[in-house]
Amino acid sequence: MSTSLYPLASLPQIEKTPSREDGIPDGLEEELRAYGCKLIHEAGILLKQNQVAVATAQILFQRFWFVTSMKQFGIGDIGMGALYLASKLEECPIRIRDLINIYDLLLQRKAHIRAQAMASRLASTSAHPRTEFKYTPMSYFGNTFYELKDALVVAEMQILKRLGFNLTVVLPYNTLVNYLRVLGLTSREDVCTKAWGYLNDALQTPVYALYSVPTIVCAAILLTTRHLGIGLPSAPENCWWELFDAEWEDLWNVCGYIMRLYRERTSEDHTRVMGMVAKKGVRQWLEEHRPAGGEGH
Amino acid sequence: MDAVERANADRQKRWAKDQKIGEGTYAVVYRGREIATGRKVAIKKIKVGQFKDGLDMSAIREVKYLRELKHQNVIELLDVFSSKKNLNLVLEFLETDLELVIRDRSLVFLPADIKSWMAMTFRGLEFCHRNFILHRDLKPNNLLIAANGQLKLADFGLAREFSDPGYKMTCQVITRWYRPPELLFGCRYYSTAVDIWSVGCIFAELMLRTPYLPGESDMDQLRTTFRALGTPTEEDWPGHTKLPDYVPVGQFPKTPLRELFSAATPECLNLLTRCLTYEPRRRISAKEGLYHPYFSTHPYPTHPSKLPKPAAKMGSSLPLEELDGNTEPIGNGPGVKANPPNKLKRKLSSDDVNGSSRSIARRLDFTQHRPTAQ
Repeated sequence: MSTSLYPLASLPQIEKTPSREDGIPDGLEEELRAYGCKLIHEAGILLKQNQVAVATAQILFQRFWFVTSMKQFGIGDIGMGALYLASKLEECPIRIRDLINIYDLLLQRKAHIRAQAMASRLASTSAHPRTEFKYTPMSYFGNTFYELKDALVVAEMQILKRLGFNLTVVLPYNTLVNYLRVLGLTSREDVCTKAWGYLNDALQTPVYALYSVPTIVCAAILLTTRHLGIGLPSAPENCWWELFDAEWEDLWNVCGYIMRLYRERTSEDHTRVMGMVAKKGVRQWLEEHRPAGGEGH
Repeated sequence: MDAVERANADRQKRWAKDQKIGEGTYAVVYRGREIATGRKVAIKKIKVGQFKDGLDMSAIREVKYLRELKHQNVIELLDVFSSKKNLNLVLEFLETDLELVIRDRSLVFLPADIKSWMAMTFRGLEFCHRNFILHRDLKPNNLLIAANGQLKLADFGLAREFSDPGYKMTCQVITRWYRPPELLFGCRYYSTAVDIWSVGCIFAELMLRTPYLPGESDMDQLRTTFRALGTPTEEDWPGHTKLPDYVPVGQFPKTPLRELFSAATPECLNLLTRCLTYEPRRRISAKEGLYHPYFSTHPYPTHPSKLPKPAAKMGSSLPLEELDGNTEPIGNGPGVKANPPNKLKRKLSSDDVNGSSRSIARRLDFTQHRPTAQ
């Protein structure tokens, strides 16, 4: 058993994630991770769940993909399982039916958006008539519920098992408050809000499974102070992040992960990930993109 | 088989499961051993029902907290692995528990023995509290005793981290006889003081050899408590009448503890009083408890290895399955409603425990053989 407070991915796991091993390119994995986390986030809001549970779920979700391939489990199911498990871990359990209804709604809506986008692409120039999204609730005793529930129970167990039952998650918010205090920035409301926002956005990236909390918090502060033009001692011998035991290179990496979230994406990119929420979509994509003459990996 | 499954299979191979020794609502307990060393362990196999809503909350709590806590006076979780659909917790094997010790009439406790058990309880609890974890189900039955006499806190099925200030917690925790009055009055914001009250009840029970405050219902629990310790006044416990479920249950006079605990030293009575203080904020903390003069005055605590222990084979008059009022909706036993109980605090000392009939026997044992304190 590991004695460290919270687990981080090992170098071999980072160099070659199981998904990459299965032929899923880096970029696509990154997109799928981010998309899975967005779904968790949206579900959390609709369920009025506490942010602690949502953030915990996102961190468990990110860790999961360092031990499992997206060819084997879908980001939708695992996201749902992570949110369910995290809600129990954080002592704010949610009803299984509520969670399933919410995910069903989200997935239907995404499917609708995707269908719209694909249709308008086909009809390229002419204005394609847009249809309003209309949610069709699942029937109370229908199969959808039981299928989703089975997937959820399996996902919860798989997360536990594959993470070696190591469920310790440390959230960064307290650390942020302390660091901002030390740096004398708490009076600047814009700094607090922005840094807090970066920490939340970072939940869509794998950084919480790669770097320690102090490093991530420093990265959020670095991005914030640069954007707002606030100077902090950064010359060698007097670098503010050293006060918090962070390394410049790590900080810079975390910043890179976060900033990549905000890059411009094409609508193809968007619809592509929407079609890969279930592992079926991923497998289909792999099938279509099989290197000529190669057998999978 | 991917790397994860290989790792899991390797872990699984380290442990051998022997005979089943108990079954509860969400788990089956087996006696087992570590193959390499032959060390005895208890393997708790958690059932993951298809019909239930995923994994039981108490199982999750137990895994979460025991993974983090490593201390001489807290049960050790040695390993966790999964087999097909099940989750298996490998726990250290403990011979007996404090309840069996208290109940074994053939054993004589010296004041130094009681001091030793109390010191170990406080030590384990202080460690939990230092790590921001509330146990929320302390009772003699959850204080297990190792072969070398070390007492260990077990059953973290109701444990939780301290909540953020202002975040409501359930008041339906802690087995009734050990539940502090603020919880009985429906207090939703509480902290480490709830565990200390339980420790106080256990302390008294060690001296009396019978449960100190055996209430028959939540309401009766308040009455029993007040009868023993006097009805709290506004001065004793400011604001208690404003608690959500406050009900006046009658006026009882304060009788000095000395009358009931006639053989206790002044330090001993002082510590007991500090544990059973009505106002939660004035109750002693686990850390203060450890520095209490009780532990540093004569007689010094007995060395754990020299503490009285029940004979290896128990007489049939002493049923071994624990009382678990929690599972039974009827009956007078202490209960916790909010969460399914962890039925299985290893009754590992017994080879011959079998399930439900035992627990009924034990239940009867409680009400028939044991005179109530008051």
